[in-house]
Amino acid sequence: MNHENPTGAAAAPATDPPIAYLERIRDYYLALGYGAPYEWAHFEEVPFQPLRLPLEESTVAIITTAAPYQPDKGDQGPGAPYNGSAKFFSVYSGSSAEDPDLRISHIGYDRDHTSAKDINTWFPLRALREAAAQGRIGRLAPRFHGAPTNRSHRVTQEIDCPELLARCRADGVDAALLVAN
Amino acid sequence: MSLAARHLEENGIATVVLGCALDIVERVGVPRFLFSDFPLGNAAGRPHDPASQGLTLEYALRLLVAAVRARTTWRSPLRWSTSDAWKQDYSNAAHLSPDEIARRKAEFDAQKNIARQQRDQPSQ
Repeated sequence: MNHENPTGAAAAPATDPPIAYLERIRDYYLALGYGAPYEWAHFEEVPFQPLRLPLEESTVAIITTAAPYQPDKGDQGPGAPYNGSAKFFSVYSGSSAEDPDLRISHIGYDRDHTSAKDINTWFPLRALREAAAQGRIGRLAPRFHGAPTNRSHRVTQEIDCPELLARCRADGVDAALLVAN
Repeated sequence: MSLAARHLEENGIATVVLGCALDIVERVGVPRFLFSDFPLGNAAGRPHDPASQGLTLEYALRLLVAAVRARTTWRSPLRWSTSDAWKQDYSNAAHLSPDEIARRKAEFDAQKNIARQQRDQPSQ
């Protein structure tokens, strides 16, 4: 891994290690009585595409795992318990010019320490708009895109990923911010 | 999300993943990763803290430009709080009573059924 630091500040102290999620989640589901843990995809080779244009000339899109609010799908928060019925199963898009109502109740975020009241913690549209207004990026892509949190690698790779690519290409996207939850 | 980053990158679109789960994202392997050591759900910054959100985006944009090879991870210098106690809580089986484990198992099974039914609906 190439661990670097964006500010040149001292590295985080060793007493402050990140949560070992792979181990934590495996142990959690074993404790609940489930057997084989979820197998995360794993690749030795990772592709790399340098930014083709200066950032100040680039069109930048957001890709999110958040779901549009669906009034008929139960409590979606803020602060809702996990709500599997709010999941979505195909790629969707929305206008970057509007302020969408996106929720993360279908995601296993940290409900002990996050209320999910502020969309800007998982969907940085406002910040990206400001970056565009300031000329930091060339242009905010006209649409953002929703990526399903499908647990099938095959569906993700064969259906969702090509669809996301097609939509980004249609919008002339040079770079994408993918915000995980 | 990591699979999408890989696919876009293979097809000419530069990407940066913003996330809070360092080991999971690095396990999959992505071109650029801005890691914020925050509770899951806050990959774009702290709630009700526009300065944190603006800085998080700025780090992601700098990473887009600065990375010269795949698997480049930057760790945001921003901290969630002055205490790291929050890291003890997420899905931590060691902290749950047998009753709470049973309750969560029942809830998880119910949610799996809901998701399965919805996925299987023709309209979906």
